[in-house]
Amino acid sequence: MVSWRRSYIMVAAALTLGLAACTSEGDAPEDPADVVDDDGDSAASADSGEGVLDQVRDRGTVVCGVNDAVPGFGVTTADGDFEGFDVDFCRAIAAAALGDAEAVDYVPLTAEARFTALQSGEIDVLVRNTTWTATRDGGEGASFAMTTFYDGQGVMVRSDAGFGSVDEMGDTVICVLSGTTTELNLESQFSARGLAYEALTFEDNDTLREAFLSDRCDGWTSDKSQLAAVRSAWPEDEGGPAALTILDDTLSKEPLGPAVRDGDTAWFDVVNWAVIATIQAEEFGVTSSNVESLAGSTDPETEPELARFLGIGGFDAGLGLDPEFAVDVVSQVGNYGEIFDRNIGPDTGLGLERGENALWTDGGQLYPPPYR
Amino acid sequence: MQPTEQAASVRDADGHRPPPWRDVRVIRVALQVGFVAAALGTIWWLYSNLANNLARLGIRRDFAFLDQSAGFTIFGSDFSATSSIRVALWVGLQNTLRVALLGIALALLIGIVVGVLRLSSNWLVKRTASIYVEVLRNVPPLVLIIFFYLAVLQTLPGISDAATPGDVMVVSNRGVWLPWVELGTGTGAFAATAAVAVLAAMLVAAWRRRVHDATGRPHHRVLWGGGTALVLLGLGYLTLSPPISMSIPLLEGRSVTGGALLFPEYAALLVSLVLYTSAFIAEIVRGSIQAVPKGQVEAAQALGLSSWDRLRRVVLPQALRIAAPATGNEFLNLSKNVSLGVVIAYPELLRVGRQAIGNGQPAPQILLIVLAAYLGVSLVLSLGVNIANRRLQLVEH
Repeated sequence: MVSWRRSYIMVAAALTLGLAACTSEGDAPEDPADVVDDDGDSAASADSGEGVLDQVRDRGTVVCGVNDAVPGFGVTTADGDFEGFDVDFCRAIAAAALGDAEAVDYVPLTAEARFTALQSGEIDVLVRNTTWTATRDGGEGASFAMTTFYDGQGVMVRSDAGFGSVDEMGDTVICVLSGTTTELNLESQFSARGLAYEALTFEDNDTLREAFLSDRCDGWTSDKSQLAAVRSAWPEDEGGPAALTILDDTLSKEPLGPAVRDGDTAWFDVVNWAVIATIQAEEFGVTSSNVESLAGSTDPETEPELARFLGIGGFDAGLGLDPEFAVDVVSQVGNYGEIFDRNIGPDTGLGLERGENALWTDGGQLYPPPYR
Repeated sequence: MQPTEQAASVRDADGHRPPPWRDVRVIRVALQVGFVAAALGTIWWLYSNLANNLARLGIRRDFAFLDQSAGFTIFGSDFSATSSIRVALWVGLQNTLRVALLGIALALLIGIVVGVLRLSSNWLVKRTASIYVEVLRNVPPLVLIIFFYLAVLQTLPGISDAATPGDVMVVSNRGVWLPWVELGTGTGAFAATAAVAVLAAMLVAAWRRRVHDATGRPHHRVLWGGGTALVLLGLGYLTLSPPISMSIPLLEGRSVTGGALLFPEYAALLVSLVLYTSAFIAEIVRGSIQAVPKGQVEAAQALGLSSWDRLRRVVLPQALRIAAPATGNEFLNLSKNVSLGVVIAYPELLRVGRQAIGNGQPAPQILLIVLAAYLGVSLVLSLGVNIANRRLQLVEH
């Protein structure tokens, strides 16, 4: 009787397991098939013989991956447009490539989705507060053009607390937002300086803000641009922005810039030189208001560099762009200083000083390669 | 006997078996085996799906990261950034247990008191207890936690103008520093005295028990034994060099030395979970007391027991038996709700796990460990509750 029953059990078990195995084997090949499909798609858009620049010209628009929720850098306006510092560089790229700064399709992306969107060819260029790092250049298959914004992790303190620099912040409590590498930078910087501290790690910005507001912690560490956004919106009954000070110390390097897919150097050049043109224009003193008159009046004999930059005298650097692309960029978008002041400069809500982002001639990091 | 009866039942009158597909035994076995196999198959399919996707994304699946140095610190602990992820998670688990165990004890205590008060004959006491229960159990615990953290504890004075009531404690929104005991020089001698005192107390208690058995006079053994121990301890404390000294917190500028620090994150989490859970326990206690047969109370009254003795010797022991399983569930709820501390930066297990994930450690493995740890804590707790429950049940002969 027992063996009779056991035989049934075994038969049933074998059958069911066999069935289970069949279904999962049936499913398994589907996954690689999906992968191939994805690759096929991206291959079709990225490697089908014509480069991204040709595709952009055929399409008539640049597809630009942006942020839609960081004030000053990339936000959606009430009527559905995009504006901000990063958004203006999308427009500069479109002006350089197509001669029309408005020929941009914006794709708002989350931090997690941004590199997938770039890799799959969903966007032509990513301009979304993205830090240029080795793994992103390598593992994520992105190529970073000229840095548009030199950010860095900073520490914000209450102005009346009397901290002049990070070195004075021994035995303090520092509030951190979880989910970033901010804590690692904090730890390495504070331990390198031999400072004792305690990091209070919050899950969301609102609770952190309340805790900092009530003096639970002495400092708040994050990217300086983000701290500036918080500071600009500090409630007036708490003393307004003046009640807070962002210390000069920088705990980490965060160069933010546009990224394109690896392997298309022509398109990379376009993006790179669109950015460089804005910086070069500022160095030359070319602004959106005087660029047209300069383009008409500059004498190649007396000001050869400026003349080359404005495309006077038929100089073509061979970038695959219209010789007068810089005029399009500056007249439609403005030079770097104008873009900065308009979105994040001292007169805006963020109130950022140029600092590292000043021209090299003013002691900053912006050093455009010569246009010749 | 059953198998043969079953076996007989599937044969027809002539003793022939039905074919297997209509044999009720075969169908039953096949269904069960099929169900188990389907469950295992689903789990296996889910796992292989995860494994495939992780491999495709180039995300590692091993647990070698546990030995890497964490690189971050954990609030309120000595954990250093060079220690491993394994240690970090262990610190997180300790912080979880710190809230869970103390929380369970306090919630049980408050719950019993409030539950008893809800049945008080005093209108004011009864209503107050009802309001306590109805308010607290009808508010989500997360709201309570955020309320206590931001709206209560964070409104305390800042550290620079902290309150120092009686100059023995420091109260600020960075925490409350309480006077605390520190071990002094005479600890060894005092420990010996304490051991002698406990021994003496036990002897006295045994003697009182014998007196009680022999004469029927009330034994009052707790009173006698405790008194003996206290007298001996007092003598030891006065004659030997003091075994403990008080550490009084001292506020200097923005820092405090001495005393014991109660973090606002810990306090907010503990208080809200204790209040929330005690409301449920109070209801369980009230229900259990009302479930004790009325005749028991009436019999106790007939015997002339005082209301306190009625409660302590007749009602509560029986109510406890009814309340035990449901109360155990509340213990489990409290220990799991500790994970809500994640929103107010209390470094419990989930918070530390997420900290590690945010700093580049693999999420699937860490969340698996967090899951397993919570499961382990819950299983140990329910084992304890089950053992207690079994001991409390009436043994039927």
